[in-house]
Amino acid sequence: MKIRKIIERIFFFLLVVWAASTITFFIPRISSRNPVRERFGQLARSGGFAPADLEIIIESFNQKFGLDLPLWEQYTNYVGSLARLDLGVSMFQFPKTVGELINESLPWTIGLLVTTTILSFIIGNLMGAIAAWPKAPRWLRNLAMPFVLFMGVPPVLLAIFLLFFIAFRLKFLPLGGAYSIGTVPNLSLEFALDVLKHQILPATAMIFGSVGGWVLSMRGMGITIQGEDYVLFAEHKGLSGFTIFKDYYLRNALLPQVTAFALALGNVVSSGIIIEQLFGLPGIGTLLHNAIKFNDFVVIYGVVLFITIAIAALMVFVELLYPLLDPRIQD
Amino acid sequence: MKLKKLSILFVFVIIATLLAACGGAADTAPEAAEPAAEESAAEPAAEEPAAEEPADGGFAEVAREDTAVLGWSISSPIGVTNPWAVPGYTHQEGNNFLWEPLYWFGIFSDEEIPWLAQNMEYTNDDFTQMVIELNPLAKWSDGVAVTSADVVFTFEGQMTDEKLAYHEAFVQFVDSVVAVDDLTVEVNFKIPAPRFMFEVLMLKFDTGIPIVPAHVFADVENWNEFAGDLDMPHSGPYTIVNWDNNQKIFDLREDWWAVEAGLIDTPDVKRIVMVNLGGQIGQNMDVVSQRIVNNEMDSALGMNIVLLQSITEKNPDVTTHTGHEAPFGYLDWWPNSLWVNTQLAPYDEVEVRNAMNRCLDRETINNVVYEGAEIANVYPFPLYPGLQAFVDSPEVQALIEKYEPGKFDPEESKALMESVGFEVNGDGLFERDGETVSAEIHGFEGIHNNIVPVLVEMLRDCGFDSSINFGDTAYQNMVDGAPGMYMWGHGASLKDPYAAFELYHGRFSTALNSSAGTNRWSRYSNPDYDAILDEMAPLASDDPQFHALAAQAMEIYWRDMIDIPVIQWLHHIPYNTTYWSNWPTADNIGPGVNGAFWAHTGQLVITGLESTK
Amino acid sequence: MTTTTITNSEEIKKPSNLSLRLGYIRRNPGLALGVAILISLILFTVIGLMNIDSDDAYPLSVMGRQAPSIEFPFGTDYFGRDLYAALVVGMWQTALIGVIAGAIGTFIGIILGFVSAFYGGILDTIIKGVCQILMPIPVFLIQVIIAGSLNKDDVTVFTMALIVVLLAWMWPTLVIRSQVLSMKERQFVSVAKLSGMNNIEIIFAEIFPNLLPFIAASFVWSVFSAVFASFYLAVIGLGPLREPLLGNIIWGAQSQGAFFNGWWWWPLAPATLMVLILTSLALINMGLDELANPRVRRTE
Repeated sequence: MKIRKIIERIFFFLLVVWAASTITFFIPRISSRNPVRERFGQLARSGGFAPADLEIIIESFNQKFGLDLPLWEQYTNYVGSLARLDLGVSMFQFPKTVGELINESLPWTIGLLVTTTILSFIIGNLMGAIAAWPKAPRWLRNLAMPFVLFMGVPPVLLAIFLLFFIAFRLKFLPLGGAYSIGTVPNLSLEFALDVLKHQILPATAMIFGSVGGWVLSMRGMGITIQGEDYVLFAEHKGLSGFTIFKDYYLRNALLPQVTAFALALGNVVSSGIIIEQLFGLPGIGTLLHNAIKFNDFVVIYGVVLFITIAIAALMVFVELLYPLLDPRIQD
Repeated sequence: MKLKKLSILFVFVIIATLLAACGGAADTAPEAAEPAAEESAAEPAAEEPAAEEPADGGFAEVAREDTAVLGWSISSPIGVTNPWAVPGYTHQEGNNFLWEPLYWFGIFSDEEIPWLAQNMEYTNDDFTQMVIELNPLAKWSDGVAVTSADVVFTFEGQMTDEKLAYHEAFVQFVDSVVAVDDLTVEVNFKIPAPRFMFEVLMLKFDTGIPIVPAHVFADVENWNEFAGDLDMPHSGPYTIVNWDNNQKIFDLREDWWAVEAGLIDTPDVKRIVMVNLGGQIGQNMDVVSQRIVNNEMDSALGMNIVLLQSITEKNPDVTTHTGHEAPFGYLDWWPNSLWVNTQLAPYDEVEVRNAMNRCLDRETINNVVYEGAEIANVYPFPLYPGLQAFVDSPEVQALIEKYEPGKFDPEESKALMESVGFEVNGDGLFERDGETVSAEIHGFEGIHNNIVPVLVEMLRDCGFDSSINFGDTAYQNMVDGAPGMYMWGHGASLKDPYAAFELYHGRFSTALNSSAGTNRWSRYSNPDYDAILDEMAPLASDDPQFHALAAQAMEIYWRDMIDIPVIQWLHHIPYNTTYWSNWPTADNIGPGVNGAFWAHTGQLVITGLESTK
Repeated sequence: MTTTTITNSEEIKKPSNLSLRLGYIRRNPGLALGVAILISLILFTVIGLMNIDSDDAYPLSVMGRQAPSIEFPFGTDYFGRDLYAALVVGMWQTALIGVIAGAIGTFIGIILGFVSAFYGGILDTIIKGVCQILMPIPVFLIQVIIAGSLNKDDVTVFTMALIVVLLAWMWPTLVIRSQVLSMKERQFVSVAKLSGMNNIEIIFAEIFPNLLPFIAASFVWSVFSAVFASFYLAVIGLGPLREPLLGNIIWGAQSQGAFFNGWWWWPLAPATLMVLILTSLALINMGLDELANPRVRRTE
């Protein structure tokens, strides 16, 4: 039974990856745009550059990227190389591979987006649980309300305001950038603190924007669970309020949230694209945004696929982990 | 507490998954992970090993006051320093500090500045032969001397490799390149080439070629694919010591040959940090301005006039080309027009193009976008001294009176459109056979975000179906000659109008449904015009016949409204004087070149800076 | 991130009457506040639309860069838009995108959810499977790719709505499917079946009315997501640029350095409106959720 379940999940995972890769393959091809041409357009943007024969250069690059092949052939080549885990070579940042580009950007995205998502997950769920817990003091329950109101504030707006008032006017924190100008990444504590300082504003913007959602859904979940027999039973058994809160109530309410978490990680990328741009952080969001701007489909595919794979893998993993977390869930 | 264990476990799960996926996707080791943790110092799981290695041993500390910090959007792949790498055009991203030409040209001093060559001149009257004498002290950074072999290699490379930017010019003009001795090169031309030395062999703005080291390329199989990396031998004053996604760091070479040769004093700028502003050129200028006000940056790419004015108001130590007074910038060589595809209906009708021109209220453009400075323009070239003299000549003044190229007159526009069968429809738009005239303006958000929305409204008010396309397709549409208008510059003439007029020569005008070359968007084709240009080509610019022909070409340009000139292009560049002085400005021309550090001549701007300490 | 609580609880009773619910609204301050904000926004837009000349919402119509005054209550922007007119038109367009996208998404969700839950079998497996496969694909990324691939002429307020809705129907489908499934098993449905009603009749007479709160919540949530998504698309320059969508105004202000240049009024008003729209939708969604789920209601 267990084995079958695992195989099922893996099959599901592969389906998700296939669907994502197919969608991302075909959409940019609908338009008549040619990234190779556009690459040369970028070069010429400031004028003056008159390549001898644009067509010859473009043709040679089209061949290099296989853009001269029929669409279905491009598609099978693409799926084939995906199966070999080869994400291809960037058109715009030729000759860098997409793998290298993702690898360069990923640390910044994990550093900011993933960490803030985890933090807001923890803060939001705790607050949501407390807000729904009738035995908690009223002030504690109301603590969550401001965060719920912040749900309507897109992190980007918050970031613009924070940058102007906190960083520029008050000069409390740096005006963007991943670390101080002229510093070279190294292992020292000093550098770590420098990076940390640069992350505070974007992190604040991200956290304030996303805590509210967790508060709300956790509150709903918590209220539902309070009515469950086992909670009532525990109350009657005379267990202390705190024990019931953490062992019976919080733990059970948290489970469905865990799945939502995997999805949320995918959605933070939307805020992340703009936040990373705004703060000049060279993460996945910036990579993707530039790729879209320059129509570098190879990178677009690579990044979207990478994110989808990460999320789908996480979901499968979480579902397989469920029975371990909650013995009641058994097949 | 179980909750904590759960959350820690959770964090591990995520990171493990992501890293595993990452490791699978890339060949490189997965521990190239994040350099530091979040503010969640308490979250042990978020703390990951920093793996990026510090630069190899010798990365020295350089004080802020010895460092020039420049803001730019770097988009070329890390490690590409070879000027012949394709796709190229990397000089704007700091590689101009690495490579040097035979001569520089200083636009403000109107001076040719001998560099790797100590002399170069035409040796006969009809401009069919020239001789180049190299500076005997010139050396590559690996100690090898710069010799005539390098020059011959550079020129022959351009002649044989169609992927290089000046291939066409070399093929058109150059017959042979001969090394007479170690320091002397003779160039023989097929046809008179009076402008070749200036246009091709001198570096200025974004044009001209640098000399490349033959001994390095000797071992390279395919120079178009050779990145060069940080250690490629070069002749320029700086060497890249670190390059990542955030910045490019250059350190001064103490053994730079030009100092020894007495061409220049040892530069005060010991280190250049080029900060990557990310994204496309011109994005996030708000934050960049703030960083300049806070003295974090010394200069950055050009910005719009209002922003620059605000910067100078907030920080008086920041100056501009014209100090704290309008227009806060200098004239760039890139006047912008609204181009149309003159082969495509209805833009192929002279009346339609003239009608479009009559919709532009150039005074309003000056007032709304440029704080009243006179930027709106009717020429396809910048009014540098030589060109100003040309337009001031009685012949050209008479043409201005005749054609009134700058006149705003919606009524005349309407009359012109009606004369070719258009009528104003219910939406107030010109329509013929059920079709309106698309005046979708293709442009670039980073640099055109203040002007294009204004133009769109003017055209729309007049009756053209206008909209904005700042999208990624904008450039491609220019190349394809799609319906609509293209906001784009000329980047051609500096001293005389020939180069600008040559942009419209029929020889470059590709047919419909094929790609147009850069700056050839108009696809204009007129044998009479071409004949005038062909007659001009072999003439020196001070030849009276040249002037007469140029005036004829000017007349055709306005009569046919080949493209619709809109604005001169001003470079609004902030110069922060907190750490550095002697920026090239109107009052102090410094090395005599324009102040854009990203132009080829940016090397002279930076090496000419003086420390304020 | 969602506030729609899926519960398989069997406890939902057939609601007795409408007045009870209206009474409940009074006791639910969040919902009341949300509705109040929404109504004032609608009033702002409707009254505004009657007052303004919509040409003033476009550049060069008035003198630019004016601080708020009696003539221009919200000031004017760099390009000479009257921000009052721009905000009214922008609100209208933003709302249009939200409502179109929300309605289509929810409609697809209802149809597929019902079909899937009611007919079961292979149809159910397919619909559920497709939804589950599409769910982990980051929607916004796909929207960005689509918007980026379109020709700019084709990007209008309506295509924007369609782009947003393209991948926004899976969640409503799954929510409604699970609700229908749980209701199918309940007594009142069994009673109806015994009394000889056919499937269609049961759906419309019995199940649909009981699902209304869920559908409403799901609709509000779809509108919320659509407004958010269209805002982000506008912000990264993929929207219809000439239109005064709220996202476009905010991003125009940002790219002209409005704060830095001291034109604080330019980004402030559209940002406030955007926050108000999103907050009111979130509050309403939360309130409807409680309305639909009596257990949540119980704690008040």
